[in-house]
Amino acid sequence: MSTLVEVPPKVQPPSVAASPPQPKPFITEDWLAVCIGLFVFVVSLGLLVGADLLGWAVTTSVWTVPGKALAPVSKGYPHLPGLAALLLTYLAMLAILAIGAKALGANVARFAAGFTVIFAVSYACWFLGSWAYIAATPDKRAALKVPWSLNLTNESGFIIALLAGLFVGNFLPGVSTWLKEAVRPELYIKTAIVILGGFLGIAALEQRALATSVMFRGMCAIIEAYLIYWPIVYFVSRKYFGFSREWAAPLASGISICGVSAAIATGSAIKARPIVPIMVSSLVVIFAVVELMILPFAAQHWLYHQPLVAGAWMGLAVKTDGAAVASGAITDSLIRAKAMAMNGIAYQAGWIMSVSTTVKVFIDIFIGVWAFLLAWVWSAKIEHREGEKVQAKQIWQRFPKFILGYVLTFLIVLAVGLAFPSLVPKVKTSMGQANVFRAIFFVLTFFTIGLLSNFRKLWQEGIAKLAAVYVLCLFGFIIWVGLLISWLFFHGLVPPLAKG
Amino acid sequence: MPEPKFTDELHKMESEYEPLLPIEKKLIWNTFALGVVLLIVFVLISRFF
Repeated sequence: MSTLVEVPPKVQPPSVAASPPQPKPFITEDWLAVCIGLFVFVVSLGLLVGADLLGWAVTTSVWTVPGKALAPVSKGYPHLPGLAALLLTYLAMLAILAIGAKALGANVARFAAGFTVIFAVSYACWFLGSWAYIAATPDKRAALKVPWSLNLTNESGFIIALLAGLFVGNFLPGVSTWLKEAVRPELYIKTAIVILGGFLGIAALEQRALATSVMFRGMCAIIEAYLIYWPIVYFVSRKYFGFSREWAAPLASGISICGVSAAIATGSAIKARPIVPIMVSSLVVIFAVVELMILPFAAQHWLYHQPLVAGAWMGLAVKTDGAAVASGAITDSLIRAKAMAMNGIAYQAGWIMSVSTTVKVFIDIFIGVWAFLLAWVWSAKIEHREGEKVQAKQIWQRFPKFILGYVLTFLIVLAVGLAFPSLVPKVKTSMGQANVFRAIFFVLTFFTIGLLSNFRKLWQEGIAKLAAVYVLCLFGFIIWVGLLISWLFFHGLVPPLAKG
Repeated sequence: MPEPKFTDELHKMESEYEPLLPIEKKLIWNTFALGVVLLIVFVLISRFF
């Protein structure tokens, strides 16, 4: 069986051991995401000392004439053509990520080749998603001179990238395998989340009371994932589907908490065999894609008058960091577009996605603690092993380190803004430039999530029973309880209105 | 060592069913009860403070 998701070396299946030995990674993917995200963040702050170091990065505006869509993000590069900005952006990302790939012990040449294709296809999807007939919101149609549009905003590029990835992953598996070295959705999304911390810092500076409220409520809402979802899924899979403890615990964590990371951490905590977290993780990725395709549109339809409830719902219901934050991003654009079309209300961009991210990040923070608790329960009470002690350092080992990067960028922006209020406009512009890379990392995530989702292969593995538990739990109560709890904590809170 | 197949795992689970232990029931019930209590407490806190 080849794995459908990336798993750490310690849970690789036995067959992998037969392949040629890979160089030992110099760094984990989590720490690499922190390094890359912080690098982009710090370079963007060059504006504070008058150095426009990222202004050449490419942005794509909603377009009717393709030739006018691309441009550098900063007005400080007026003579740089859009295509040159795109090329520079690609080369910069390739250089940084190739160094990262080397540090991860990957084959750099294969990574570079794969990344080139992934970047090209992903950006093409992003570009297509910015076509006015797809992206334009009703208030922009007159200016763009289009009589109609799908009103999906330019973030429809994410959906197009996902569909493209699914197509390649399911119908061109050879291509997907060839790209494998660069198919790293977790790395891309974690890097994006580190950069996103700076954006949240800006939001917190501008709306301190709302940001504090969002963080507190986000933290409260996560108890559901651990304390309500987990026992129910565990009970259902043990009692009604007859799964063994070894399978039921990682499955419960995968469905309830945070997909891949939680399934792997739990599998390791209870000393499950490698096949268990691998199969569960594969399932989680597939269902996360299904949720990603459905829930944002459901939220747009029913929750456009409660935008932050929708954001929290994405964070609680959609598993895996990538799919959850990505769902938040799509929901953000879809709901803002609908609120504008239905009620003429223009919400500030990013708040809905920030709520999804905040909820997801708080969930991630406790994975280590949860794995530690399960390890203790299993070793002391369920499968008692003489002389075995569960050590507290496991909490740190399981802690998703990219969150440190997210917290750091958030705190730096907040501290600079509070200490030097006159610098806030420049910090905001800096974060706008960093945000260009955040958006590209997002679209890379969407495409590569699609690439990893090989539905046919999973079915051939005979995973139907495992999927039945997932379907029952996910659509039977996780989505609905998640909605209820999101409603309890976030109803009545709305994003600030956009200026102008 | 041959890699285990999921279908084999299913057959094994069907033939060697592991009943829920009292400690598992306790884990399930206590976790769930704590979750419900904390949910009520946090909802109240978020509404009134």
